[in-house]
Amino acid sequence: MNTISSSRFGKLGQYGIFLAFILICIVLALSTPKFFTVSNLLIIGNQVSINALLAFGVTFVIITGGIDLSLGSMVAVTGVVAATFAHPDTFPLLVPLFAGLAAGSAIGAFNGLVITKSKVPPFIVTLGTMTIGRGLALILSKGRPISNLSDAFNFIGGGNVFGIPFPIIILIIAFVICSVILNKTVLGRYMYAVGGNEPAARASGIRVSNVKMWVYTICGLLSALGGILLTSRITTGQPNAGAGFELDAIAAAIIGGTSTSGGTGTMTGTLIGALLIGVISNSLDLLNVTSYYQQVVMGVIIIGAVVLDGLGRKD
Amino acid sequence: MKHNGIFAALFAATLLVGCNQSKTNETGQEGSGKKLVIGATMLSMQNEFIVNVADEMDAKAKELGVELIIVDAERSALKQVEQVESFIGQGVDAIIMNPCEVEASSPAIKLAMDAGIPIINVNSETSAKPTAFVGSDDTESARIAMKYIVEKLGGKGNILMMHGFMGQAAQIKRDNGAKEILKANPGLKLLAEQSGEWDRAKGMSLAENWIQSYGNQINAIFAQNDEMGMGAVKALEAAGLKGKVLVVSVDAIPDALQAVKKGTLDATVFQNAKEQGSKAVETAVKAAKKEKFEQQVLIPFQLVTKENVGEFLK
Repeated sequence: MNTISSSRFGKLGQYGIFLAFILICIVLALSTPKFFTVSNLLIIGNQVSINALLAFGVTFVIITGGIDLSLGSMVAVTGVVAATFAHPDTFPLLVPLFAGLAAGSAIGAFNGLVITKSKVPPFIVTLGTMTIGRGLALILSKGRPISNLSDAFNFIGGGNVFGIPFPIIILIIAFVICSVILNKTVLGRYMYAVGGNEPAARASGIRVSNVKMWVYTICGLLSALGGILLTSRITTGQPNAGAGFELDAIAAAIIGGTSTSGGTGTMTGTLIGALLIGVISNSLDLLNVTSYYQQVVMGVIIIGAVVLDGLGRKD
Repeated sequence: MKHNGIFAALFAATLLVGCNQSKTNETGQEGSGKKLVIGATMLSMQNEFIVNVADEMDAKAKELGVELIIVDAERSALKQVEQVESFIGQGVDAIIMNPCEVEASSPAIKLAMDAGIPIINVNSETSAKPTAFVGSDDTESARIAMKYIVEKLGGKGNILMMHGFMGQAAQIKRDNGAKEILKANPGLKLLAEQSGEWDRAKGMSLAENWIQSYGNQINAIFAQNDEMGMGAVKALEAAGLKGKVLVVSVDAIPDALQAVKKGTLDATVFQNAKEQGSKAVETAVKAAKKEKFEQQVLIPFQLVTKENVGEFLK
């Protein structure tokens, strides 16, 4: 009973966010003519892509009732790893891509393993991985950015296909795959079950540890994709890149209606959450609002979204 | 993020102190009698420029045969003050501090002075006066960059400025220097200014957004560091505007020098990390030995353009 009503109101909350998003876009389009242009919308899509990928990953994790704070550090490690193998005339493009994705999946799997075997809360485990990851990125890069990357590698984050920035294409593909995993597969249904009521899920025969291993590994993989995009976009592997990215990603998921208590959340909601953050930060730049105020506005929106979600639930 | 900093700093400090202690044992055997010990606390070993300063300090210390202990303050002034306290506890002969903050790192100066240990500030300043200061005047770096823009634009045009982290000494000083030149040249208009937080990806996004709002009106972008400047270059290239917009930044990191050579970044301002590092150790050794030393060692900035970039590329 409980899960049914909360998911219905979760949808209502998400509907609210969607309306809020449209409303904000209309206000912005009216306040500056520069906002609603094709080139600006493409730029927003491009800027949103990295955060959205991380947010998709963390949405899986939050739905199972967990959290992942190591996203930003995974972005740095995987970016540095990929950059190491991406110098021109060294390895074919697949090598840096595979190395980066493998590094991210490995760190994610490590998170999952420690969380399921030790029963230490995910908050603590991933807080530790966040620090380890940052340290690894600094060790691997010797504290210095890794530049001089091949053109093929730089295309991933900087290239266009039929006028559409490549990161947007990656974003759309990732969105479709993540939505399918969440809505159309057994694994997706198990994720909701584990997050909604873990003892019940266990009692009904779901192998909870396996589900958790999967979500943290997927989250690591998506972070790696984000790390590769970032590295390619700025054409350097930066050991200090991605600091604080986990917070933006978690914010996107929560704004999009994913409940931190687990069991509810959708990829569409998260995508809207990420777009909302991107649209606001883009338009505050267009309107030349000082960065101090930008931070305040962003915080107000996050709290507002959660309050809205909470109200929906009580009714 | 704070937790992250604490963990990482503890870990890094243990590692670094560990490394340096093992070094003592190696060199201690060949040493003749009592060796001078210098403790150094650096703003952040995640910053390429600071790492370069620290590397040069290390090299100079080896050359002079003194022991140098380098610890990372991880941008926390509180940690920095604690590190200076523990240097005092260890009874080091001199301290080198690369201050995290103007005000908040100042108590460390007083602590060292009270303990009778000379303390040298390197690279940036504190409000409390140290035994000696070795570094460059950040205000000057922005003046140099802005003057170059004035010259190139013939004193007329629209400018955008990317700030560093708001409130940090370098951001405030580079802002002051830039505004000074802008004031003296009323033909230049500051269209917008915004923080890119010293970060390349943020600088790139900011430039993309500015291109949307101002497009063809932009004549020049001044970024307070090279990372953001490189981001601006990428955004302008993608929009096909690089040929029309002048981009100037500060620090002369290796990437930026390459970009100046290629002609994508128009100019950067070279801050001499090597000179700062080696002069800091020299001054600390002199002060510890109670020899004569200069209280203010100012290392000049140099403008780097395509014409002279060869001198800086090694």
